[in-house]
Amino acid sequence: MVRGKDWLEKALIGKGWHERATGRASAGGNGGSPPGPPRRSRFDASPRHLGVGVALIVVLWGLFSCVYTVQPEERAVIKRLGRVVGIADPGLHFRLPFGIDTVQFVATERVLKQEFGFRTERGEDEEGRSRYAQGDYTSESLMLTGDLNIIVAEWVVQYRIADPIKFLYAMREPTRTLRDLSESVMRRVVGNRIGSDVLTVGRVEISNTARDEIQEAMDKYDNGIHIITVELQDVVPPPRVQPAFNEVNEARQQRERMINEANKQANQAIPRAEGEANRLVSEAEGYATERVNRALGEADRFNSVLVEYRGAPEVTRSRMYLESLRRTLPRVGTVLMVQDGQVPPLPLLNLRDAQPRRPARQPEEGQQ
Amino acid sequence: MSKLLSLPVVAIAVLIVVLNAAYIIDQAEQGIIVQFGEPIGDVVSEPGLHWKLPFVQEVRRFDRRLLAWDGDVSQIPTLGREFIVVDTTARYRIADPLQFLRSVRDEAGARTRLDDIVDSVARDIVSGTELEEIVRSADWSVDVAEIVEEEGITLDESALERPQKGRGQLEREMLTAASRLMPGLGIELVDVRIKRINYIDTVRTQVESRMIAERQSIAERFRSEGQGRSQEILGDMEKELRRIRSEAERQAQQIIGKADAEATRIYGEAYGKDAEFYKFFKTLESYDALGENSTLMIEADSDFFRYLESTRRR
Repeated sequence: MVRGKDWLEKALIGKGWHERATGRASAGGNGGSPPGPPRRSRFDASPRHLGVGVALIVVLWGLFSCVYTVQPEERAVIKRLGRVVGIADPGLHFRLPFGIDTVQFVATERVLKQEFGFRTERGEDEEGRSRYAQGDYTSESLMLTGDLNIIVAEWVVQYRIADPIKFLYAMREPTRTLRDLSESVMRRVVGNRIGSDVLTVGRVEISNTARDEIQEAMDKYDNGIHIITVELQDVVPPPRVQPAFNEVNEARQQRERMINEANKQANQAIPRAEGEANRLVSEAEGYATERVNRALGEADRFNSVLVEYRGAPEVTRSRMYLESLRRTLPRVGTVLMVQDGQVPPLPLLNLRDAQPRRPARQPEEGQQ
Repeated sequence: MSKLLSLPVVAIAVLIVVLNAAYIIDQAEQGIIVQFGEPIGDVVSEPGLHWKLPFVQEVRRFDRRLLAWDGDVSQIPTLGREFIVVDTTARYRIADPLQFLRSVRDEAGARTRLDDIVDSVARDIVSGTELEEIVRSADWSVDVAEIVEEEGITLDESALERPQKGRGQLEREMLTAASRLMPGLGIELVDVRIKRINYIDTVRTQVESRMIAERQSIAERFRSEGQGRSQEILGDMEKELRRIRSEAERQAQQIIGKADAEATRIYGEAYGKDAEFYKFFKTLESYDALGENSTLMIEADSDFFRYLESTRRR
């Protein structure tokens, strides 16, 4: 600052304005005082006023150009006579006037963005969404995949200026270079994979690889750009091929559906069959239990009867026979007597229908 | 009075001379002093205030930073005769301003020379290379088997193999070839990169048609795969059903068989004690089982009839 004022004073003295300016300053307090005005001619007054005016302008300009403000998101690079001497942090700063110190502001804290294959426009549409420019940016987004197919990829590079001096003085057009490099790197990365991979599972890896490679290139140029992230946006096949891709998706769905339907059918049938099988087994088990129990019961019964029978075989035998007949005969429709050497019973069978109930009573009466 | 007047005049004259003798080299610049068109002395690369002879010498300034060059988009046939559009980009620096000044004068001149050199180098290299080589890179790691598995398209194994050189190597070759001519221009080429490669429009249409056909075949495969899997599942189901049913059947028969055997054993054990009485006992039981309206035939000399006769006689 001090050096700046000296310089200013010298310049003023050199031009002879200083004395006049100070003279004006001493006389300025009583500009309207009596001794002056009558003697002042136009020739006298004009250069004096002109000089004072110019001096004032110069002083003001000098004062104003000494002060500058650095915004919070910025850093200022200070150059003295063309040479970079430092960086100023946010706040109010002084500098040497008259272009000795020049200041360049660089937004180092702001996250900057470059878009590829599309452009977001300023402002929003009526529903508050971002608006996208209508232009055709396919030349940016069209690229070849490793299997020599075509793909349309849109992406965004977010970056920050990490080193303002390098950013300004390592390259002339660092942002344009960032653009060129992003395109080059993205095409390399996409070209190093096959199309279906790029469209589906490869996205994250592509973003990361691209970020690393762009950063690597920026570091090589040493241009102070820090890549924050590379984000793939829409990655789609070319418009004409799109329906075919959809067809594949549909077919895939269709395949799933067919498989699901078959599975459904199987899932319905098999548990049912298992149930039926269990039923069959259970029934068999039931039969088995029944059969064995009956056998046991019958055997027991037989054994019991046998014990008694052995006590008095003849009597028991007759008794059982007759009891049995007694139980049986009432239900029997026809009783035929057959004697060896007589007419066989065949003709009699026809008569049975003619007199159905009558013979049934005959043995009963006979019993009594 | 003349003394007073001449003071500012002299001062102004001195100032003009001083201002003309002083020059500032910016951080981004380097300069050469030229005297009547002839470069004098070394390159002034130190930024700051410098002095020269006023009026007779002038300063030529050149950028010291890395500069970007963007090539024309050119149509080049590859070795495989596919026409592609190649867009290259490069970065260079004015390494020798003196030489630069002599050979190309300024950046516009440099740019046209770079256009010629880099474009022709790119053309040479691209036209001597297969397209795959330019698209893929040396770290190509696509597993062909996996793709065949996933996409179900029969691929020519060679169609997806690792490139021999790859894009990075080709770019380095371009840089080397182009750099050979650079010292004469006072330029240092830092890198040459392929920015864009695309098919020309007619080829693009063909490629798109190929992609469509490829997708359709994949779709077809999915559909038939669905049918196939569905049939397979239904077949499995049928197999399973038969297994379940037959196993159940077998188990049931086994159980029944065992029970029958058990019953037989029990009957055998019991009835074996008196076979003759058993026959009698069972015969009576079977009489009990006679249905309604059945016909009973009795021989005249059977016990029953005998008893009947004897009761009548009584």
